Amino acid sequence: MTHRTRPPLAQWHAVILHREHPLVDALRRQLELLQIRVTVSWPHLDEAQASADVVFFDADMGHDGQFPWPRGFAPMPIIALIGSEAPGRIEWALDQGSNAHLLKPIGSTGAYSALLIAAHAYQQVRAQADDIRVLEDRLRQRPIVVRAILHLLQNEGGGEAAAWKRLRSVAMDWGMTIEDAAEAICRNDKRTRSGA
Amino acid sequence: MSRTAIPVSILYSTTGPYAALGRDAVDGAMAAIAEVNTDPASRFSIVATIDDPCGRAEDYAVLAESAIRERKCRHIIGTITSWSRKDVLPVVERHGALLWYAFPYEGFEASDSAIYLGACPNQHLLPLFDHVLPRFGRRAFTVGSNYIWGWEISRIARERMEASGGQVVSDRYVPLGSIEVDHLITEIRQKKPDFILSNLVGQSAAAFIAAYGDDRENATDAPPIVACNMSESDLEGLAPSARRGHLSTSIYFDRLETPENRAFKARMAERHGSGRRITTPFFSAYMAMSILTRAISDAGTDAPDAIRKVVTARSFDTPAGPIRIDRKTHHAALRPHLGLSDETGGFALVESAEDAIVADPFLVRAGIRADLPVVPAALKVVK
Repeated sequence: MTHRTRPPLAQWHAVILHREHPLVDALRRQLELLQIRVTVSWPHLDEAQASADVVFFDADMGHDGQFPWPRGFAPMPIIALIGSEAPGRIEWALDQGSNAHLLKPIGSTGAYSALLIAAHAYQQVRAQADDIRVLEDRLRQRPIVVRAILHLLQNEGGGEAAAWKRLRSVAMDWGMTIEDAAEAICRNDKRTRSGA
Repeated sequence: MSRTAIPVSILYSTTGPYAALGRDAVDGAMAAIAEVNTDPASRFSIVATIDDPCGRAEDYAVLAESAIRERKCRHIIGTITSWSRKDVLPVVERHGALLWYAFPYEGFEASDSAIYLGACPNQHLLPLFDHVLPRFGRRAFTVGSNYIWGWEISRIARERMEASGGQVVSDRYVPLGSIEVDHLITEIRQKKPDFILSNLVGQSAAAFIAAYGDDRENATDAPPIVACNMSESDLEGLAPSARRGHLSTSIYFDRLETPENRAFKARMAERHGSGRRITTPFFSAYMAMSILTRAISDAGTDAPDAIRKVVTARSFDTPAGPIRIDRKTHHAALRPHLGLSDETGGFALVESAEDAIVADPFLVRAGIRADLPVVPAALKVVK
């Protein structure tokens, strides 16, 4: 198993988005044991709470419009508090981008593992989203590679193999991806000119 | 010979936003208690306490806790809304008590600490739609109380509609207890749906049916309201013209023409006078308490473990026919009927399922069928 960094929970601020209820007290107790600062909010999160490190939200009575961000774009790990296992409610929690969940009733355990799982899942989702963005950019730039090869053939002579070699060396020399190098060549970036 | 006194909590809101249902339920439960307590052969008597959470969800758990801890109740007959049931369940689970839940609900639950005697969607909504869709059309207007019951029934309805090529033209919610319904009437007039599925509860349902009744006075082709939870209690206070023409599915109607129901109604007439109509909530709570008392008699104790065994081991005769409770799901197999309301606020039976339908609380067996027989195979016309 790879080593994972545990989040610095003692510096965390958690928001519980739930109406007044004994489960809120139980969850607060669990979180405060972990030195997490807790605020409770209902029925909305306000802008200031958007900087919280984690949000626990009620999946039973929750509704769109409670969060100051678009659905599925929480800027922190979010954990669903689930009482009703009706599929409509689970789907709603998933649409919000829930990274973990806790089943009601909430007693004296569960919050710690939910926090670690949510923090990890959130990082994974973020990392994957970044990877996807990079891959999409590269895909989008593919025609640029063809254009750069044509550009090199026309302007620097030599064959296709030489043009590819030149493209790779520009990328290597400047620590760029092939696509970024191709874009630089098409722009006639001076870094890409022979002898530059 | 002295009898053992067994404490039981009756937990229904007899005040608040759905008080009419709660009052009928309390009367039904008390009628069943009277039968066992006046039975000379009974070795025990039930000492009931009536707890009224006034329709406030947060008070249910508090009252359940005190009934179990202070009055040593091991059985709670109660809750109507899923909102309140969900708050009571953790309490009964923690203390090893049993909750007897007797009202239609949205499913997706099967607690070991509850006995589910009300219908779930494969016993109410799906048979209702099997009747309604081929006859009225496939454009539904859904309106419900704004909590899990309204949301989930509407979601299943939408799945069912879309699977059969229909659509939900509008899906609206009203806060539990609200009687602001005029905007719904306006929208129904504009959208002209084929039928209206109402998942409203208590006084919201009554206000909606009343307003709809006023509006359709001048209409010739007003679509029907259909529901899985409309009972005689909901129609009682309304004008005769507003009461008629609604389709409701239920496991019991006052006019159920069976020897069991005739005998039941005769007994209730002795207790309440012959003028009283037996509503579905009255019957439901009566049935729950009556099955509990027979299970105590069989088991010789009210210990929940023993009751759980007895109650899932045999069938129980009820005014709605024999009822068997599944050992795994704790849900009753139930025979749904379809009733059409008239101006008196009663329901004339239109159809009945041939047999009891086994509960499928997670809809894993029933699924959402796409086919729509013109005359549903599972239902037959009651002569």
